[in-house]
Amino acid sequence: MNDADVSKQIQQMVAFIRQEAEEKANEISVSAEEEFNIHKMQMVDTDKKKIKQEYERKTKQVEVKKKIEYSMQLNASRIKVLQAQDDVVVAMKESARKELLNVSSNRRTYKDLVHSLILQGLLRLREPSVVLRCREIDVTLVEGVLEEAKKAYVAKTKLSSPKIDIDRKEYLPAPPNNNDPHRPSCSGGIVLASQDGKIVFENTLDARLDVIYRNKLPTIRKTLYR
Amino acid sequence: MPTDQAELNSEQVLRRDIAWETYMTTKLITGTSLQLLRRYDKKSENDRAPLLDNDGPSYIHVFISILRDIQKEETVEYVLALIDEMLTANPKRALLFHDKSLADDDIYEPFLRLLWKGSWFIQEKSSKILTLIVSARPKQNGRTNGATDSKKKITTSDDVLKGLVEWLCIQLKKPSHPSRSIPASVNCLATLLKESVVRSSFVQADGVKLLVPLISPASTQQSIQILYETCLCVWLLSYYEPAIEYLATSRALPRLLEVVKGSTKEKVVRLIVLTFKNLLAKGSFGAQMVDLGLPQIVQSLKAQAWSDEDLLDTLNHLEEGLKDNIKKLSSFDKYKQEVLLGHLDWSPMHKDPIFWRDNITNFEENDFQYHPAGRIIVTDLKAKERVMKLMNHENAENKN
Repeated sequence: MNDADVSKQIQQMVAFIRQEAEEKANEISVSAEEEFNIHKMQMVDTDKKKIKQEYERKTKQVEVKKKIEYSMQLNASRIKVLQAQDDVVVAMKESARKELLNVSSNRRTYKDLVHSLILQGLLRLREPSVVLRCREIDVTLVEGVLEEAKKAYVAKTKLSSPKIDIDRKEYLPAPPNNNDPHRPSCSGGIVLASQDGKIVFENTLDARLDVIYRNKLPTIRKTLYR
Repeated sequence: MPTDQAELNSEQVLRRDIAWETYMTTKLITGTSLQLLRRYDKKSENDRAPLLDNDGPSYIHVFISILRDIQKEETVEYVLALIDEMLTANPKRALLFHDKSLADDDIYEPFLRLLWKGSWFIQEKSSKILTLIVSARPKQNGRTNGATDSKKKITTSDDVLKGLVEWLCIQLKKPSHPSRSIPASVNCLATLLKESVVRSSFVQADGVKLLVPLISPASTQQSIQILYETCLCVWLLSYYEPAIEYLATSRALPRLLEVVKGSTKEKVVRLIVLTFKNLLAKGSFGAQMVDLGLPQIVQSLKAQAWSDEDLLDTLNHLEEGLKDNIKKLSSFDKYKQEVLLGHLDWSPMHKDPIFWRDNITNFEENDFQYHPAGRIIVTDLKAKERVMKLMNHENAENKN
């Protein structure tokens, strides 16, 4: 073999080895790339799932919040409505109370009323001896009807005439005025009590208004809020 | 086709003398082109290298222009041979085609066109060069580098890949050249199938079954190289899910086993083993591999002294994977298979009480899907009573 042949053979061997090496290198490169792709896809999938879960969780949170908000709002509104209804009814009572003042200003009708109130009280208590309390300004008027009331009582019950003591030590409070709206006041009427003070019958106009108000409340509400 | 055409090679082509001056006079090439050609033509690699390093794109431009504007077969062949020579000397030069200065040139069009006409030499060189150029393209986010100017209608890389796959599949089916078509096509595919776009269109074009017949034991150096490249293609495809289905239905697996049994060529064995590794976890391949006796083959392969440590690693990995498969197979799944196939054989496994105990729950899990089916088949075989008796017998044993 001459030099040319040797050289050619060496060249061939070099080329062969190089080709084998390049082929292997190519395989390694491909393997690496594919493994990377698989890995990346897995990571992307995992993260996508995570994000989706996160998002679902957040959406749920927002929904729950919304529901709570709605519920709270609903409640608040309901309370507002109830409050307003209550306010109206209370206002009604207030204006009724204001009207009470007019009752006592008409002397004639008020006198008859006081007579009836005392009689009613006597009939209720059925005590032989009672204490009567009234407003200071009504004293004269009350003294005026006392005897008639006693007579009426006797006529109705056939019992003996009761002893009625007007309490001059303590009077019912004076009628209300605008200067001092929070001080206790009385719009009229009387309070009767047994002698020992154990049984008390409040027959003031205010007390009567309270009773009526309480009794009629369901009807009032029904009428207003049908 | 005349026989000397069939034997035409680059060496012969490059011996030709092309009359570049005449082309300039007829205005088919510019004066600058002529200059560059004079500097480049017939020079040695050592002289050419600096030219390309300094001003590569300009030379590319000249070549492309000639291929675009000149039809004479001799000249076309000559230029193709020049380009082939240039790329063989240094494959990185494929990048020159993607230089920004050539953005206005349609670098793909001439080669794509030449695939379909002209001599085999032209077709073969065009396909080879085109493969190299398109594979070297810079990838931005995996999108194609097409022309954004729709008026110009420059060929996009997607077009190239589609056209190439089409041509290659035809070559595999109906070779233009009796002996060169297949090696050339397989060679191109081995490079192109690295891309998922190519894998997709190749599989869609039903190309997988064209490769399978090429998987057969080889003895000559040339056929070994073709086998290697075919296996390379198969391995690349085994990374692609849709291709795996095709591989399953074709007779790829038995053929691969045949080859790997008899081959002494390390690189061929290496690739096939890698392919097995990819397929092991997919579908029924694991079961098939066990059936066809792969575990034993792996054993004998391990015994041979390969120099590649990666190969040894992969073989060990395969061994492990196959062992797992065997374990799984001796379980419910195989029984299920047998029941469904009506092959209720009394293999040793079925007599094992442990098997029954473990798998009664499996029966229930599957909503008695297979149990009733089994009952039907078994009733068919008139073996129901025998089985029931035996089952109760087994259960009694179990209770003990």
